[in-house]
Amino acid sequence: MLNLMTSAEATHIDPAHNDPAHGDLAHGGLGPTGIVVDHVGRSFGQVHAVRDASFIADPGTVTGLIGPNGSGKTTLMLMLASLLKPDTGSIRISGHDPVTETAVVRSRLGWMPDVLGSWSSLSVRNTLIYTAQMYRIDKVAAATRAAELIALVDLPELADSPTRVLSRGQKQRLSLARALVHDPDVLLLDEPASGLDPVARAALRNLVRRLASEGKTLLVSSHVLSELDEMADGAVYISQGVTASAEALARSRASARPWRIRSSDVVALRAALIAGGIEEAAIETDRADLIVALEGEAAASALLARLVAAGVAISTFAPAVGDLEHAFIDLSLGEVK
Amino acid sequence: MSAFFSGVGVILSLELRQRVRSISWYILLAVFVGLILMVTVLLSIAFVGFGGDGGGGTYSTIIYFVLLLGTLVAPALSGNAINGDRDAGTLATTQVTLITTWQLILGKFLAAWVTALAFLAAAVPFLIYATIVGSLGLGTILISILVLAVELGIVAAVGVGLSGLMSRPLFSIVASYLIVAGLSIGTVIAFGLGGLAVQATVTTTSSYGQEYNANGVATSCTPPATREYPAPRFDLFWGALVANPYVILADAVPTIYDQHDQPTDLFGFIKLSVRSAQQAPETVIVYDECALGSDLYEDRPTARETIESTTPGWAVGLFIQLVLAGGLLVGAHARTMTPAARLSRGSRIA
Repeated sequence: MLNLMTSAEATHIDPAHNDPAHGDLAHGGLGPTGIVVDHVGRSFGQVHAVRDASFIADPGTVTGLIGPNGSGKTTLMLMLASLLKPDTGSIRISGHDPVTETAVVRSRLGWMPDVLGSWSSLSVRNTLIYTAQMYRIDKVAAATRAAELIALVDLPELADSPTRVLSRGQKQRLSLARALVHDPDVLLLDEPASGLDPVARAALRNLVRRLASEGKTLLVSSHVLSELDEMADGAVYISQGVTASAEALARSRASARPWRIRSSDVVALRAALIAGGIEEAAIETDRADLIVALEGEAAASALLARLVAAGVAISTFAPAVGDLEHAFIDLSLGEVK
Repeated sequence: MSAFFSGVGVILSLELRQRVRSISWYILLAVFVGLILMVTVLLSIAFVGFGGDGGGGTYSTIIYFVLLLGTLVAPALSGNAINGDRDAGTLATTQVTLITTWQLILGKFLAAWVTALAFLAAAVPFLIYATIVGSLGLGTILISILVLAVELGIVAAVGVGLSGLMSRPLFSIVASYLIVAGLSIGTVIAFGLGGLAVQATVTTTSSYGQEYNANGVATSCTPPATREYPAPRFDLFWGALVANPYVILADAVPTIYDQHDQPTDLFGFIKLSVRSAQQAPETVIVYDECALGSDLYEDRPTARETIESTTPGWAVGLFIQLVLAGGLLVGAHARTMTPAARLSRGSRIA
């Protein structure tokens, strides 16, 4: 069984530098900024929604929050958003405790919930103006900020329509704009990409990366793991209310994962793989592609070099699943065992 | 402090803007005005048929009708203020801003009150008409409108309070109606049943005249006859009765007396009976015609004396209602506060 220990360290997966040394972002000397979650637990009666969650998300990074349904993601998000009091442990948002310094935390925190509520009879513009006023921004500044955000999330032609006419994706963009209204340091995005078309997704990804480059701390929860793979610097994996440790993630990274290999000559490819020491039974066939399990990037590089040297025409050689998906499945399976 | 009220103002403005945009609100207002118009016209015709009563009757009935409709409309305007937002997913997004729970609750309460006051405002022309027809004083109409406004505020506060305490909008609206029903009818039932359940024994000793002199004064009387009978102790339960909004309204309006110090309008008579209920029944009554002489009814106080010597019931009633409404708002605050320590079963905070 995979022992899911907790760690106060960030448990980052870095797709570019897939070795443990670079995997964890250094956060010494930065001070208590960003998001610091230390052994947080929260139960509802007999249900322990979050048992023991610990992680650090640093300014200037995008951290994914992943986990199966019902694993405690939303409860954790609600505690971070200062709506729910943790039973145990502590949370720091930009160095402040949401329980005791609620107002300070709220002035620095933007939250985009997974539930898309909007004041249905208000226009997009007025929704943003009212939200800004709730952050004690005066009327004139609020109107200016609303206009900026409408341009930012690309809703100019709907700016003066009531929010009830918005589609799901458009509401999603309004919700994001609302979270950004007071230019927060820390952003919590709960399922931001759901309901977005590919163009809007790409725009969201760019926006998220840009916000991170401005030094903001972003925590993004999503079920679309490939999506997170593209925008997140690291991820926190949570299952049954417990966050996975760095060790567990490192182990999962090192564990065998499937690679997809495509060649115009499948027969030659299969022969070359068997010649390279892979058992025939271990080779999966998926349409025209072959899938083999390889342990780590080094093994993959070595295999590719061998195949090329053997003169096999390779057109695709890539992980069959994304980094996060691999971690997700691997850790989930570890738990089942 | 001004930051606090500007936050309340933001919520108030947001709520009002949403309500004003809904067509159903205007339909409700039109139905409300239509009903009052009908009642006013019918009452005017009816009283003309009775030989043109002092508009006291018409006025009192119209203002009671406005109170009835107002207290029927107000729970619908306030009973889902907080849990309705939670259902719509707009509560949590407000709570993560710098708006505090008290700002949220007070803003919503004021919005519900202002909306209910719009109904009162629509009824004012009818009230003025009734005052002119009944040639009533300015004091009567001003106090009635003031009391109506306060009563609508109390119902609005009850609705907002319950909407914060209960998680389902349907239940909190129904509960608000039950509280309105409890205040309007329940108080009368509690007063009546309470008074009847607790009874005092009255002992009367009567001695009637047998022989009278030329001045009609008894000179010889029967031997004293003693009789015992139970009497309800309404004086112990008048507190329940004065929590009734209709009683508060009648009790608060300044009474106009005729030359016999008797009230002239419906409100005055209600006020007299409510004030009389404050007085404990006399448990020992001695009636001796020989001792009384000719002044048989000398010591009975007039209506004016009764009213002026008793506790103003409206103040006690309003106090009870304010404690109820305030208590519900405090409860709603405790229940809605974030970061939340506890959640009701099955409720999702967002």
